[in-house]
Amino acid sequence: MTGFKKTPADSKMISQSIMLDRRQLLLGAAGAATLSVASGFGIRPARAADRTEISFASASFFGKEGLGDLVKAFNESQSRVTVKFIELPPPSSSTEVYQGLVQQLARRNGTPDVFSQDVIWIAGFAAAGWALPLDEYFPKDKRAEYFPGTVAACTYGGKLTALPWFVDSGMFYYRKDLVEKHGGKVPETWADMATIAAEAQKAGDAKFGYLWQGKQAEVLICDAVEIIASNGGSILSADGKSSVIGDDAAVEAIQFLYDTINKTKISPQNVLSWDEEPSRQPFTSGEAMFMRNWSYVYPIAQDPKASHVVDKVAVAPLPHFAGGKSAACLGGYQLGINANSKKREAAIEFLTWMSSPETQTRLALNFGLAPSRPAIFQDAKLKAEQPFMASLQSVFTGATPRPITPQYAKVTLALQSSISKALVSGNVKAELQAAATQINKIVG
Amino acid sequence: MAVTMTVPASERTPGKSRALPSALWPWLLLLPAFISLASVSFYPIFNGLYLSFTNRSLITQDNDFIGIANYVQLLADPPFWNAWWHTIWFTVISTGLETFIGLAMALILCETFAGRGMIRAAMLVPWAMPTVVTSKMFGWLFDGQHGIINFILLHAGLIDQNVNWYGSPDTALTTIILADVWKTTPFMALLLLTGLQTVPKSLVEAARMDGARAWTIFWHIRLPLLMPTLLIAGLFRALDAFRVFDLVYVLTGGGPADSTETLSTLSYKVLFSTLQFGYGSAVSTAMFITEGLIAVVFCIFLVRQIRKTT
Repeated sequence: MTGFKKTPADSKMISQSIMLDRRQLLLGAAGAATLSVASGFGIRPARAADRTEISFASASFFGKEGLGDLVKAFNESQSRVTVKFIELPPPSSSTEVYQGLVQQLARRNGTPDVFSQDVIWIAGFAAAGWALPLDEYFPKDKRAEYFPGTVAACTYGGKLTALPWFVDSGMFYYRKDLVEKHGGKVPETWADMATIAAEAQKAGDAKFGYLWQGKQAEVLICDAVEIIASNGGSILSADGKSSVIGDDAAVEAIQFLYDTINKTKISPQNVLSWDEEPSRQPFTSGEAMFMRNWSYVYPIAQDPKASHVVDKVAVAPLPHFAGGKSAACLGGYQLGINANSKKREAAIEFLTWMSSPETQTRLALNFGLAPSRPAIFQDAKLKAEQPFMASLQSVFTGATPRPITPQYAKVTLALQSSISKALVSGNVKAELQAAATQINKIVG
Repeated sequence: MAVTMTVPASERTPGKSRALPSALWPWLLLLPAFISLASVSFYPIFNGLYLSFTNRSLITQDNDFIGIANYVQLLADPPFWNAWWHTIWFTVISTGLETFIGLAMALILCETFAGRGMIRAAMLVPWAMPTVVTSKMFGWLFDGQHGIINFILLHAGLIDQNVNWYGSPDTALTTIILADVWKTTPFMALLLLTGLQTVPKSLVEAARMDGARAWTIFWHIRLPLLMPTLLIAGLFRALDAFRVFDLVYVLTGGGPADSTETLSTLSYKVLFSTLQFGYGSAVSTAMFITEGLIAVVFCIFLVRQIRKTT
């Protein structure tokens, strides 16, 4: 749903693997044996009972190592808590991960104690009472260590119900060589972007000026959130109880997207059926000047086997409207604690460790997942090993959450349908106002 | 066994000495089959029906009986009717085309010619392919930028600029229908071919001797005798087409502007994206009812046909 494509969509089955290393397993077996012998002699068993056992459910992320290795590292780093890892499908099977989590949390039996969640599920889990409010454990000064957009996405009803883990967001890819040729300045407003793109197209330097994703799918909502927010608009009102997508700011923004196809003609009509990959292909084969996409594109663009634009691509924050501020749709997975967990202290300890600067740096270096703590972007090792990721701090600063509502799943379906209709028909105002009426019914 | 053999027949009073009356035995033996069927088939159907009368949602944790409220909402729900019409349109057009082309293919394959066995086997390849593969393939064929269909049409002078097949509401559903026709026509042809082979050769030969032309033989001998097969094949195909999911899900996801949304994709979204099991079950039940109606229409024709021929 958020466009993460780092992991292949291989298995759709929910596999549960218990990640304990062999040493611990042997210890456990020995412990059990001692227990049965010891209890016979009336000796209180030691060792095994000292460690609190909790479970951690997450979509499976992997790079140089997997989440299982991370959990193992935690288990070895201290002697109070043992974490059992419940592996859910990869994030590309987002719907299955969501179902798996909902089914477990709805049982309200405290399993899993800790879980990771896509940003768009946070409000739903919080409203259902499944996520433990974390305010007392992570007071204001601790929250200030994260990107403000991620903290906003982790907050529902004034309470922090999730802890930021790693982020991704929409970003503005551009061709350095073409920008150099046409003015030398990366456009900061949408109007400038359209002008430069049209120039480059006219000069025959690029077949397409600007590529984005207009397929009736979740990614369309991401594109829409970005452009609407960059005009000072939003989809839901501040209290989340009504929709303001029929307002002028939003209408003007979506109108701009419509115009890229029909008026300024800097985007092909095909963007209406494209999601991330189809829009990435023309860009990395050198046919386009600008593109909006996620961070996964960069490594592909730098791979000589897959790309014609090696070393010609760079990334900037997305443009904004005059008077607005650049916005980037927030993606990524965040951490949460099961409200029914009976082992809160242990869960908090694990949660704190998972979101700590050290673990986040490890996630960045070994998994390619970008930190939610701005401070890590200054890390020398990160700069040396992942210079691209280290350059994204300014992009993530503008990260904007999608509508925060427990009814997000319904809201997004209504939005996908209406915005797609607006982009196809050009009746932007009428379609968006119809969307507002529909969303008011859902969230009101 | 040895014991029962030694008991003299005269000592048995039927129905009393035995624990069970003989009429009950067949039922008892059927019971395991019934239980296994009931648990995997009837239970889900009735549970689905029951869910459609509740407001069950995994997210809001509601689970109350609300009577027909879901159905009232459904009847006034534009996305539902939009999807309903698309599904009916898809079913009628794709089944019609598949029957027509399939019949033509069957008639050709019925004749003897060199390499017939090979052709029959090769013909089945599209049908044997997983639908997701077909979907991806058609995605590339009809790609708006690099698709070969655009390339051919452009160079043949039939279009003056690339058509965005999946990005325009005017062409998206038609393109999906084409993909379905390509994929399932062989199945139709195969069913009709078996039907054609049951037409007695003697009838055809007799007609030929009387000087009947090919068209007359087809229209007056083969087609009437093929009718029951044609109806059954059509029924299978229509019910199958009505459930279309993979093609839409892979190619367009229901867009653009809801122009390819079908009942299967809609109910998938309601059930598994928003986790509204109550309302989603109502959508599925409405689908079930519509399929039932389609089946009834076919069966009426079928029964009439069978009465005519017997």
